[in-house]
Amino acid sequence: MRRVLTIVAVPILFLAACGDAETGTPAGSDGDSPPAAEGTVCETTDATDDLLAEICDRGVLTVSTDPAYPPQSKYLPKEDKYVGFDIDVATEIANRLGVEIVWETPSWDVITAGGWNGRWDVSVGSMTPTDDRQEVLDFTQPYYYTPAVALVHEDNTAITDVTTDLDGKTIGVCGGCTYEQYLDGSLSMSGFTFDFVIDDATVKGYDTDTTALQDLALGDGDRLDAAMTSATVAQGYVDEGNPVKVVGDPLFYEPLSVAIDKSSDLDPASLVEATDTIVGEMHKDGTLTGFSEEWFGGLDLTVQQ
Amino acid sequence: MSQTEGGAWERLALASARVPFRLKVALVWVTLLALVCVLFYLADYDTEWMRENFSFILGGLKYTMLMALGGIVLATVLAMLGALARLSSNPILYGVAGFYVSFFRGTPLIVQMFLVYLALPQIGGNLVDRYPDLGTNFEQRLILEAATAGTIALGLNYGAYMTEIFRAGIQSVSHGQGEAADALGMTYVNKMRRVVLPQALRVIIPPTGNEFIAMMKDTALVSFLGVTAASAEMFRRSQLVGKADFKNLEAYVLVAIFYWVLTALFTMLQSRLEARLATGYVRDAGRVTGPAREHGGGGA
Repeated sequence: MRRVLTIVAVPILFLAACGDAETGTPAGSDGDSPPAAEGTVCETTDATDDLLAEICDRGVLTVSTDPAYPPQSKYLPKEDKYVGFDIDVATEIANRLGVEIVWETPSWDVITAGGWNGRWDVSVGSMTPTDDRQEVLDFTQPYYYTPAVALVHEDNTAITDVTTDLDGKTIGVCGGCTYEQYLDGSLSMSGFTFDFVIDDATVKGYDTDTTALQDLALGDGDRLDAAMTSATVAQGYVDEGNPVKVVGDPLFYEPLSVAIDKSSDLDPASLVEATDTIVGEMHKDGTLTGFSEEWFGGLDLTVQQ
Repeated sequence: MSQTEGGAWERLALASARVPFRLKVALVWVTLLALVCVLFYLADYDTEWMRENFSFILGGLKYTMLMALGGIVLATVLAMLGALARLSSNPILYGVAGFYVSFFRGTPLIVQMFLVYLALPQIGGNLVDRYPDLGTNFEQRLILEAATAGTIALGLNYGAYMTEIFRAGIQSVSHGQGEAADALGMTYVNKMRRVVLPQALRVIIPPTGNEFIAMMKDTALVSFLGVTAASAEMFRRSQLVGKADFKNLEAYVLVAIFYWVLTALFTMLQSRLEARLATGYVRDAGRVTGPAREHGGGGA
């Protein structure tokens, strides 16, 4: 009987150990303002029994990020840390709340689907507050705006005017993201209007933008006639020396916001409000402009075009 | 080769008759590997990048192995229980085992992973809402980390497949053995432990090894749940650095090599184990390596 017990105990012990190992370590505590400094949200708030109070209590804000998306977020294996625009913004939000920050890296569709079960508190992951997502997530005001651009292979000379020349072409985008919704005309967001200028495109959805770009780089029309992504990702890919080029002006500017799970067990309202206020302050005092210029080659993407 | 065109071939075969079979096979392997290397060279990969990220991606080996080991232990326990239930005449046990095997063999592993990762917490939350006596701790316990959820899903899934392996293994032991144990007045547990299972294990172990090797590769699916970078397994790591640097292909080539070497290594170990287990049953007792050669020695 004892042997049977051992056989059962081993996986349980293993799983327990595995669970511990997964807990992230606080990062970004090397920021400028030390946690729980004077005048932070956690110092002044009168929140009780809700998500904000819980975060202040434990002194840690858990943020989800997708570290395969430079320059917004990138993982540096050697230093074991995350860097990028989103990372700086999230770290600053945690600083102003007065708490430490730890990271979770779930896959993108798990984040946008809501129902986080408290695995992480907020997403500072360049998420567009579409109407669909607003049903399950609360959003702050946008913290920046990225231009969405179309790319073609560098050998292509036929496509010059994005409002007409891309009609009926095969265009690669990330599956389930705003670019796909833009191409099939279903992108809707309260407070924003979009001009759907590309008609009847054959949309090919990829797991992520960069895979679509790689397929485009194979050759003009081999698998794709064009790809669509944010100007920042596009620039990064072009700078790597890949044979693609951005055509025309941006198709639209998408607002990007901090997201918080609506279905949270604890009331998220005061956290949404506090985060929204912090984002507003960061707009006003130029912090966001500074981050944007640092990460996006001197561009200020924090104002709506 | 047919007789008519085989003149040259036959002469070659005759001339090289003294060259051991194994050496010829090795030559074929070397040639194929060289071809792969040429293809690799033609693809013009960024080897500098691969060198830089080699150790980071390989660092995921620990977590790949941890998940595979955890999964196979869980699967073995489940398969043993499942097989005994499948062979019992108790309708409840038989039904439960049949239901388990049917569900976990009948749905994709990746779906099961998402169910364990995403659906369990919801069930826990709703249960606590309805029955507050359970306490919030109950709910927390169902919110599993991605790696834990993935390992459990691996165990459940492979356990279902291995239930059939274990069942077949137990059934392969001749009835007379069990009857003899019964005649000696052994209890069911004793009969299984001392007589049937030790003999069944000889049949069970080799395919279980195969399942373990397959499972090592399936740990890559856990990456879809998203694991913290520092404790990510090999495939997740390759994706992290590959996508960020636009070097997907280099990352996939690297990780493919890692998985290949890993599985080749374990296939080799398994061949040895198989040969050992077969020792008592091989007619030509001097040639212990027989069965190992049959399985191609390292073709992962």
